[in-house]
Amino acid sequence: MHSPAIHANAVFRSFVSGQIRRPVLDGLSLDILPGELTLVCGPSGCGKSTLLAVLSGLLRPDAGRVHILGENLWTMDEAAIERFRLRHIGFVFQHFHLFPALRAWEQVALLLGHVGVDRQSAHRLAHETLAAVGLADRVDSLPAELSGGEQQRVAIARAMAKEPDLIFADEPTSALDAASGQVVIDSLHRLARTSGTTVLCVSHDSRLIRHADRVLTIEDGKILSDRRDNAPVGQVDAVT
Amino acid sequence: MVALARKSLLHGWRRFLPATLAVAFASLMLLVQSALLLGIFGSASIYIRTSRAQLWVGYPGTQTVELGRPVAASAALRMLLDPDIERVEAFDWLDGDWRAPATRGAVSVFISGIDPRPEGLMFAKALSAELRAALRSPDAVVVDRADLPKLGTAIGETAVINGHTVRVAGVASGLRALGGVNVITSLATARRLSSDKQDTDHSAYYVAALRPGTSADIVAARVAPRSGDARYAVWTADDFATRAASYWFFETGAGAGFVLLGGIIFISGALIAAQSLAAAVAGEIPEYATLRALGVGRGELRKVVLEQACWVAGAGLALAMALMAIVVILARTQDVPVDLNAATAAVCALAVTGIVIISGLVAASTLGRSDPAMLLR
Repeated sequence: MHSPAIHANAVFRSFVSGQIRRPVLDGLSLDILPGELTLVCGPSGCGKSTLLAVLSGLLRPDAGRVHILGENLWTMDEAAIERFRLRHIGFVFQHFHLFPALRAWEQVALLLGHVGVDRQSAHRLAHETLAAVGLADRVDSLPAELSGGEQQRVAIARAMAKEPDLIFADEPTSALDAASGQVVIDSLHRLARTSGTTVLCVSHDSRLIRHADRVLTIEDGKILSDRRDNAPVGQVDAVT
Repeated sequence: MVALARKSLLHGWRRFLPATLAVAFASLMLLVQSALLLGIFGSASIYIRTSRAQLWVGYPGTQTVELGRPVAASAALRMLLDPDIERVEAFDWLDGDWRAPATRGAVSVFISGIDPRPEGLMFAKALSAELRAALRSPDAVVVDRADLPKLGTAIGETAVINGHTVRVAGVASGLRALGGVNVITSLATARRLSSDKQDTDHSAYYVAALRPGTSADIVAARVAPRSGDARYAVWTADDFATRAASYWFFETGAGAGFVLLGGIIFISGALIAAQSLAAAVAGEIPEYATLRALGVGRGELRKVVLEQACWVAGAGLALAMALMAIVVILARTQDVPVDLNAATAAVCALAVTGIVIISGLVAASTLGRSDPAMLLR
């Protein structure tokens, strides 16, 4: 049995709206195994995006611990968390947020430059990664020249080029048509399968379910169900 | 590394245009103000700059040419005896009241009485040989071409100065004065125009030219009076020009006005440029937030914004310089005194750099809004 890539224990997070404090994550605990594509589902406002933010080092929890790759994430200072994200984590967001001025390969190479990859290697790696997501012939395109699905694949290439241990994806197919969404799902799936990257994906999109190794359903800040290979593994609200 | 700053700037140049124009406008304002100030203050030293004299002898403590007091001709004797001094001549400077035949009323004029001979030192760089020859006629005067309308006269016409009739023998350019009109005439005519016609052994100044290769500082020190209660003082032309400019800048309040106006331009320029640049950067906040989510530090992103600010500064400054060249050409065709040297342009560029650094830092602070958690719905 692998040790979990992510271990969250009794995570609480609430938001204040006016005089009212609303709990979003209510003592949630879970383990995410390495090399799996885990899908987090649930109705709007159930806390799935907040869970993603807390597990990825973007949002500090009110209480609880998060260990990623053996590191106690929220004991680090902000700069250390940034360095940790740079080295180990990739993100894919619902909106692609590509720089309008940069060509596809430059979007990828830009991040590689920050990781410390030299210019020539970054250029080569960017082309290879874009080819891996099926964009070999679009490397010189600007975002405005790409379809939504192609832009999202550039965003995936940007996230995976530095070979992160984990990729967090937030509604990666919600802004795409069916065909484009399918290509993006395939890219994420292949990423988890071939490179052993742990992929944690938050989505409403039911098409993603059959590609996921594991599906977590969240409601009211708690895990409502936890299914593996589309088979229910029980009603869970504790460490899996 | 991918040149994000430059590429974003070129691609989204419309977003950066307001900031560039704000920098260009502030730069142009600073340059125009400086050029006008230098030009106007330069008018105060016009007598010095347009002459070939290297040494000036005047009343002790004189701050600017217009404030000269009579000095006895004996002061020139010491200079005439110095082996390194080639030529010494008197220069009279007096106030006058100009009345032209036309209904223009009276105009205050500054009368310069000079040696009009071809080898004369005063206004040697402003008066042609023909004009100097014309000045040798009794009662002939020369004025700046741009002052003719103000004086209500024309070449060949007559006017009255201090109750004495004079004739406009010709016009020159570059003679405009600060707060009045320069009228150039011969020493003989100037003495006729003076209210004190008996005082012929005093002049406001004596000016001297040195033999080639001689140091003005050394000769000035040598011919300076030895006793503390001397009735004259000796300055090099550069020293006297600096004294004149300093007097107008520091003693008249004009300098304080310049600094105040410069400060207002600086602050307003910085505010407008900062807001414009911040708005331009705000257009890409989600993209910057994505980079932050991926682990790129805020400091790295701040560098991108500051680099963009520097490009904006460069473009704004280049635009301002081009416009300034047009302004200078227009000003010179209209005889408006403007003067701009490399040092002043460099100071303006430095001020603009300050504007841009402030703007860049303000714009970079908008990156604080690039919280990557906001990207998660």
